[in-house]
Amino acid sequence: MSSQFDLFGTPEPELEQEPEPARASAASARERQRTVLSVSDLTANIRGILENAYSEVWIEAEISNCRLWNTGHLYFTLKDPGAQIKAVMFKSDVRSLKFKPEDGLHVVVRGRISVYEPKGEYQIVCERMEPHGLGALQLAFDQLKRRLQAEGLFDATRKRALPSLPRKIGIVTSLDGAAIRDIIKVLGRRYPNAHLVIRPARVQGEGAAAEVARGIRDIVAVAGIDVVIVGRGGGSIEDLWAFNDEGVARAIAASPVPIISAVGHEVDFTIADFAADVRAPTPSAAAEIVVARKEDFCNHIERLSQRLTGAVRGSVARLESRVHVLNRRPGFAGWSARLALRGRHCAETTYALRHAARSSVSRRLRAFQALRLQLDQYDLRRRLGSVRARLVGVDGTLRAAAMHRHHAAEARLQNCAARLDSLSPLAVLGRGYAVVWDDTRTRVVRRASEVARGDGVRITLSEGELTCQVVKTDGLDN
Amino acid sequence: MDSTIKDFEAAIAELETIVKKLEEGDLALEKSLELYERGVQLSRFCHTRLEEAEKRIEILNERGDLRPAGQMFSKDEK
Repeated sequence: MSSQFDLFGTPEPELEQEPEPARASAASARERQRTVLSVSDLTANIRGILENAYSEVWIEAEISNCRLWNTGHLYFTLKDPGAQIKAVMFKSDVRSLKFKPEDGLHVVVRGRISVYEPKGEYQIVCERMEPHGLGALQLAFDQLKRRLQAEGLFDATRKRALPSLPRKIGIVTSLDGAAIRDIIKVLGRRYPNAHLVIRPARVQGEGAAAEVARGIRDIVAVAGIDVVIVGRGGGSIEDLWAFNDEGVARAIAASPVPIISAVGHEVDFTIADFAADVRAPTPSAAAEIVVARKEDFCNHIERLSQRLTGAVRGSVARLESRVHVLNRRPGFAGWSARLALRGRHCAETTYALRHAARSSVSRRLRAFQALRLQLDQYDLRRRLGSVRARLVGVDGTLRAAAMHRHHAAEARLQNCAARLDSLSPLAVLGRGYAVVWDDTRTRVVRRASEVARGDGVRITLSEGELTCQVVKTDGLDN
Repeated sequence: MDSTIKDFEAAIAELETIVKKLEEGDLALEKSLELYERGVQLSRFCHTRLEEAEKRIEILNERGDLRPAGQMFSKDEK
């Protein structure tokens, strides 16, 4: 038994240490009174005691393990350095919270203790919660502002310029408040033909924020609305709370037309002021801003119209004076005469040109005709005939000449032959003379001394030849 | 009025450009007259729009209907 307690590291029950006699008597007393309870009964008893004793408690603690379930209930732990208690806040109460519970937040809560029997746990059911120190509204404001700022909802780059001349001015506010009267008063005085569209919305109390947000969404959808004033007159921070609502801020940010926030001046800024394109400190000021834009615009148009006329007058005058000056410049004086001269020159040149063109054509025509004539004369067929005739003539002549030359040559040949005959040594041989050659028949032997005894000689006779041997030489010339 | 004019802002922006151009000079006469004509048209458009609106106060109800506010604010008009 004791070893089991050791196992859990707990001290042994004091009962064990009681003196024996006392223990026995106490035990017997307990035996007599013994009533055995079920866990359920016991827990129900505890629950009754706790819930009665702590039906309303206030605790100051730090939040941790804070978690919003999708059922809408908020579960968290409240703790201080020495202890902690589980806590829950049901959906209906969570909705009325002005700020968002976060881990580490120091809060004061009001609630009751309840016991959750299935788990034997007790917890505090919170009905109200407010930040410790700082007001709940201020904290909620800071939280929302920080969050929307981080989202970029307040960025200067998102701010749109107001229209110069809104076709219609939208107003979201209460019909009973001072705001609408202030706006109408200012516009009535300085913008008499303004076209206003008012979307009534409650601006304080439960549900006001939702009405304002919806009012904004509705009115920006009206055709022709170019700017919207959203606001109310001054009041306490609670009165203005609808303008610190996230839904209102988002409706403003989502608006397609510029929004002027105009919440009474008690607090410096509301969330709506940060989200708006222009912040006016009061509804009257918002109206003044719209009027000022319109008046600026009118003045601007007026000035532009004057400048337009002035500029054109100036421009025309400048051009006129230039024309004037040019007119009087010496170079310009003979201008029309020079023009006429040029015109004439032009006409003359044209005429000359035409004439030149014409004469050139006729000259060429004549040349052509002459050439044509020449060409006819050179007609190849005619020329061929004459060439042929000449060729025949020449041919005859040539032939006659050839014949003639032939006859002459023949006669000359006969003559020469006769003469040659008379000169022929052979004719002399016919008369009994002979020619003596050396034995090679290359040289005529004219002197006996040209050969010696025993040499061969050849002797040509009138008919035939002899081959002889010299027997004796006899010099006659000696 | 004139389909070439989108809205006031566009009209005034164009008018500004035209005036600037004209003031700079150096424009052909015809061009400057053309610009002037357009400028007059634009400024007339602006003036007309300034005056054509009439005072009107309407109430937009929850069903999205527009109704004249009637006498609701008549005492404020003075």
